[in-house]
Parts: sequence; C-alpha cells; structure tokens
Amino acid sequence: MIEEIENNETVYSVSDITGILKQLIESTPQLNGVWVKGEISNLTYHSSGHIYFSLKDEGAVIQAVFFKHANKHLDFKLEEGMSVVVFGGVTVFEKRGSYQFIVYKIRKEGLGELLQKIEKLKEQLYKEGLFAPERKKPLPALPRRIGVVTSPTGAAIRDIIKVAMRRFPNIEIILAPAKVQGQGAVESIVTGIRELNNPEWEVDVIIAGRGGGSFEDLMAFNEEPVVRAFAGSKVPIISAVGHQIDHPLSDLAADVAAPTPSAAAEIAVPVKAELVAAIETHTKRMLRRLAMMVESFANRITLITRRRVFQNPMSLVENYELTLADIENRLQSLMQKRITGTKERLSRVKDLELIIKNRLQNYWHIFMMNASKLEHLSPVSVLKRGYSITLKDSQVVSSVRKIHKGDVIRVIVYDGSMQCDVQSVSSEVGFGKKG
Amino acid sequence: MEKKAKKITFEDALEELETIASKLESGELTLEQSIQFYEKGVELAKFCRQKLEEAERKIEVLQKQPDGTIQKKSVKVKEDTGEIEDDEDIQGSLL
Repeated sequence: MIEEIENNETVYSVSDITGILKQLIESTPQLNGVWVKGEISNLTYHSSGHIYFSLKDEGAVIQAVFFKHANKHLDFKLEEGMSVVVFGGVTVFEKRGSYQFIVYKIRKEGLGELLQKIEKLKEQLYKEGLFAPERKKPLPALPRRIGVVTSPTGAAIRDIIKVAMRRFPNIEIILAPAKVQGQGAVESIVTGIRELNNPEWEVDVIIAGRGGGSFEDLMAFNEEPVVRAFAGSKVPIISAVGHQIDHPLSDLAADVAAPTPSAAAEIAVPVKAELVAAIETHTKRMLRRLAMMVESFANRITLITRRRVFQNPMSLVENYELTLADIENRLQSLMQKRITGTKERLSRVKDLELIIKNRLQNYWHIFMMNASKLEHLSPVSVLKRGYSITLKDSQVVSSVRKIHKGDVIRVIVYDGSMQCDVQSVSSEVGFGKKG
Repeated sequence: MEKKAKKITFEDALEELETIASKLESGELTLEQSIQFYEKGVELAKFCRQKLEEAERKIEVLQKQPDGTIQKKSVKVKEDTGEIEDDEDIQGSLL
C-alpha cells in the first residue's frame, strides 16, 4: 500500500506499478486488436492444447500465446522459423512481470496483403449497396429443384445430396460442376451460377460453395467476379462455404449465408414429413371442428325430436280437443239454463193473463160507476131540471147582446121547443120579478 | 378458377389452409360457412399434397457438349453417402 515517508514522497508497491502498467498496456488501442508480422521461434505445442512461441524480427522479440480455444480452428501446422501474421493484443502477466502477445488468429505471411485487398473490395462493394438487406430475396418454402454449384467430386456435393434426400426424398438436384479452388475457379463458379439462372433448368434455389479449407482454398469466394455473380443471381442463392473464422465475401452477397454445404441443404430443403404432417394437422383441425359442429347440431335435433310434440304429434291436437269439449259442455249447460229460464218465465206469463183480466174487470166496474155520474151532467138531464136552450138562427144564444127586440128565437126545453118573439132585451137578470 | 388455383404457391396454400383451420376453430362461423371453408381447405390440402409429390427424385449434372451447348445428364448416387457414381466420367467444370 502507499506509505508516506519523511520527505513526503509516494512509495508504490510492485503490484501497484504492475497494475498501472497492465492497465496502460491493455487500454492502448495500438496494442490491441492488431495484426503483427513476425517469425516464429521457440515453438511449443503444449499438452494442454495451448501453443507457445516467440515472435521476432531483426530488432525485437515478443512472447506469444495461442490458447487452445483460439487455435482449434488453425488449418495448418506452425513451424519453427515460419513467417506469419498474427492477430491479437498485448497483455501483462503480473506474476512473471512479463508482457506477451495473446494470439487469436494466425495467417501465413503474404496473406496480409490479400486480407487488405479483401477488406478494400468489401468496403467498395458495401458502398455500392451489393450487400444491402433489401436486395436479399426470400427462399422458396418448397423448392422443387435445387441447383448446386460446386465440385462434382468434393465433400460438398455429397453432403448436399445426402441431407437434401434425407429431408425430401423426391427432391430434384441439378449440379453445375465447378472448380472451386486454384486456377480457373473464379470463372468456373461464375459460369455455374449464371448457367443455373437459365430458366431452362427450372431451378428454384441455388447453393454455391465448397467444403472447409485453408484461407487460400476459400479465396475464390472472395474474388470480385464471384461475389458479383452471387449478388446478381436472379434465383435465390445460398453461399455455402465451409469456414471457421472469416466469412467469405460471397456470404455477404448471397441471399442467405450458411456455414457449411450441409447447413445450406438444411436451409434450402424443407423436411417433407413435417410439411405432410402440417397439412394433415390443419386438415384434422378443420375436420374435428366441423365434426363437432355437426354433432352439436345433431344433438340439438335429437333433443327437439325428443319433445312430446314430436314423440306424440296427436298431443298437440288433444289439447285443442279438450278445450273444444270444455267449450261444448259449457255452451250446453248455458243453453239448458236459458231454456229452463224461458220456460219459467213463460209460465209466469199465464199468471199475468189472469191478473190482467181481474184488473180489467176492476177498471170496467169503476168505469160504469163514473159513467152513471156522467149521465147527470148530460144536457137532457139538465133540461129535465128546468133549464132551456135558446137558439137564434140555429145558433145557441148565450148572451143578450146578439138578441134584439122583434127577433124570433127558438127555446128548447126538456120535452119540446117553442117559437118566441122577443119583446124586449135587458141586461138585467131577474129571477124573482117579471120584466 | 382452375388457372387461379394453379398460380398460388405452396406456401400461400399452406398458409391459407392454416388460416382456414384457425377460422373454423374460432367457432365464429355458421355451419354453412364452416362447410364452405372446409371444402376450400380440403382443396388446398389436396393442392399442397400434389405440390409435395410434384418433384421426381433425380440428380442431374450439367455437361458441356462438343457443340458448346449445355445439356443435363442424369446420374446415380449412393444413397448412404450421397456420392455420385462414376464421377470420373463427369466434367469438373462447365468451362
């Protein structure tokens, strides 16, 4: 730890210094993620799987470790004195007080320039939009015929045929044989891709590639004409180049990149049994649902037909019959009542006749009595009692005003009449004296 | 109608078949509609099965003829390894 001594100077521990150094080195960009060129010496393939060596040039040497997990993809054997380009970074090993280069990738020297060339091409094509996601075409779900561009004798075609036939037994494969490495490989691959784009061959998807190999072996798939042929394919194309670390540029230009030819076949060819199963599943789902529906309707129909009306249709009529009978009965008894009532009333009418007769007799009696009374009021009986009726020119005279002296009047009495001359007229009525 | 049916792809048909199955399962259709959809579904399933059987298992290799044209040639393969038999007789390149 840091201690203060008399003159106030800071004292560091060895760990402090080493820690600062480690941090400094490991955070310096120029020391990490870089390619370093050198010659291999003191090479040790350790039993642990790690590879130790020194990387040196004329002026310096640096310890290097190529750990097992990183070196398992190494496709060539390292040799003493070999010129290489390594990729990695510098780290500090505190316990030893040493620094070393941790290696992630190794290339034989001379590849450096090649790598640069590929990087440059990649950048250029990227800018051109050749790798743009919107250029990618979807693969058909069910390709009838697969076109393959690869060597007819390599592992790639065998793997593709094997995998494709296993997944889809009646698949059709058409191979455009091509040289995939060395002289003429580029032209051969380009011709193959172009040929399979010919509609005559009715290819639904193309797999172009090769099995794994060294960096140089795969180089054709980094060449511009090949990359452009991938990008220009009208038929959907899968790049199928066996590789461990670096993607060939064909992977970027293709519609789909597969790590190996087998993987490409798996991507391109569906498992027929799965498709058959899917069709069956959907068909069964439909059928099951329809059967359920029909069954439910059948159940409803059964339930309905089980109702009494359908079991015994007469029951529907029976009800009405009962009602009808009821109404009939009620009507009948009602009529009966009416008839009896009327009969009773009829008999009562006969009694009335008697009553009316009696009444009539009564009225007759009263009438007779009153008639005799009336008799007394008749003029005859009045005349009998001494009254007379005076007529002038057959007119009854009730006042003296219509009579003048000298008039001849007729006086009717009870038992006859008299012709009289009027001697005088007076308005006095004198019963006691004579006028 | 026939021509239209021929134009649809396998994936379209399979997708529609699935949609129809789901529609039927939703229980929102009348019996009559269900039967119509079912009939359509059966047709699609038939179409899909036909498509699956359309390809005839064969491996062919393109070969350049002496006159410069390119022809296909049927080859036999070993079932277990996928190896092309008599591959010595086959051109390694179309060039």
